[in-house]
Amino acid sequence: MPSSPGRAQSILAWAVIILMAGPVGAAVWLGLVQGDSPCILCWAQRTSMVLIALVGLFVLRYGPRPRYLGMAVLLGAWGVFMALRHSALHLARDVGQGFSAPIFGVHTYAWSWVVHWTVLAVIGVLLLLLRADDAASGTREPGRTGRFAMGLFLVVVAGNAFQAFASTGPPPFIGQADPVRFSLDPRHWVWSLEETAGAISLRGSWTIPEPDPAVVDPDPAHGPLADLPTLSVSGWEQVGVRLEGTLSDLARDPATGRFLAVTDGHGVYLLDSTLSQVLHHVVLDPGYSIDLSPLAGAAFLGGDTLAVLSTNKSYVLLRPDSSADANREWRHFLSTDGGVSELRRSRFATVRGRQMYVMSLAYDPAADELVTVTVPSPRHRRLVVSRFARTDFLPVSELVPILATGLTPSGPERTLADFVVTGAVVADGSLYALSAAYSTLLVMDPQGRMVRAAYAVPGLQSPTGLTARGSQLLVAQADGRIAVLERPAPQRSPAGS
Amino acid sequence: MEFLNFLIILWAAWLVWRRPAREELAFRLLVLSCLLMALLFLVGTHTSLVPGVNL
Repeated sequence: MPSSPGRAQSILAWAVIILMAGPVGAAVWLGLVQGDSPCILCWAQRTSMVLIALVGLFVLRYGPRPRYLGMAVLLGAWGVFMALRHSALHLARDVGQGFSAPIFGVHTYAWSWVVHWTVLAVIGVLLLLLRADDAASGTREPGRTGRFAMGLFLVVVAGNAFQAFASTGPPPFIGQADPVRFSLDPRHWVWSLEETAGAISLRGSWTIPEPDPAVVDPDPAHGPLADLPTLSVSGWEQVGVRLEGTLSDLARDPATGRFLAVTDGHGVYLLDSTLSQVLHHVVLDPGYSIDLSPLAGAAFLGGDTLAVLSTNKSYVLLRPDSSADANREWRHFLSTDGGVSELRRSRFATVRGRQMYVMSLAYDPAADELVTVTVPSPRHRRLVVSRFARTDFLPVSELVPILATGLTPSGPERTLADFVVTGAVVADGSLYALSAAYSTLLVMDPQGRMVRAAYAVPGLQSPTGLTARGSQLLVAQADGRIAVLERPAPQRSPAGS
Repeated sequence: MEFLNFLIILWAAWLVWRRPAREELAFRLLVLSCLLMALLFLVGTHTSLVPGVNL
């Protein structure tokens, strides 16, 4: 015996009507009238909304059985995931750079998020209104509103089917990532299977392994540049203090001769000019706030300001401070000698160097800019020199250097991206970058537009840092030893470059 | 395939409205359509299954 629709049934019928006439109906209107064709992800999100409405029809007809409510919750949850996945493609772009036409100022992929979240909320309300005898088995008479909802559903779904046939084609064709404008003219239709191309991946371009300079080939003879001159190590020095972690970069202050050493264990050490005495030290807390991966760069920024950089391009500014507040600094440091304050902790933003790690930091006092050089990964094979203004720490330039005349690749597939730069320093108008891979010293103009010269440096073992001392370059190694190089004579840029 | 999926949905809705005794068939069509919808979304995102952000 059919039961008459109750209050919850009436609400449900109106929910189906609103869903089909609102977001789904508007999408059909946008497509058939405005020519706005959905992409393959939009199609799935729209279909999910249609299926939620269909579950509503099931409940109108058969009552709120657990399997229908469960199906609605699953569809709502899956729809929220789809909206997040789809929106992630576009939400982080710049102002006004959304994909396709907005509705009331919001793009459709974001509306899908709202709709599916609302569906979950409505299901919760309906469950609150549910009475114990509502879930009784049997067929129900949907009532006038329910019949209208069913009729509207069929009409709107038929419109979707027509649009889908023209836009995506019959099986096996599927939707496209970047579909063409809707047309009733079959000559304009594009039926494609292009979305099936490409390897399956969980994180796509974000699958970037952490850099590990210990696994690179140190032999200069195997490097990407042919016939390089050799720059021999003229002497060795040693960091004479015990460090917490492995030495990962070394900087020298030309004004005072002091050194700044950092380790992969987030240790920061201000050393005297003989590398034998610790003047100050802290171990940074890497996780309470902005995530610090292992430290890989160090630089003096003039005065007493120290900059350290982690491989994920997060940086910390520190300052020796005899009046440091121990309670304030407790949040910043896992351990400290009590004489250091943290000034700032943030991240460098990059465009060309995005999704790439760095293992070097240099400071150019003439331009008052900080410099990093990317290391390649299987996903992104580029060597990018990025510069950041000291004033606001925003990018100034990001360049992929070219080779000067006279430097030639050692093979057709060999490029500067084969290098793994683990140390950099700006001195006397040149940017020096040392690659742990193939033990090669690159000499560039300060902006990183061109590699003017390159030298093979045999004998290095896991070089992790580079700094300058007068006419010398000092190469820090992971074992704490410092290789001394006599700086090569400056190279002139080729005429016209 | 999206076109096929809408035909399946139309079939299920028609059964619910005009042939309510075929509830089981209609529900199976609903499940089939849900799976096809999810599969098509996964095909469209198979080169990066999770959101392209810094998880």
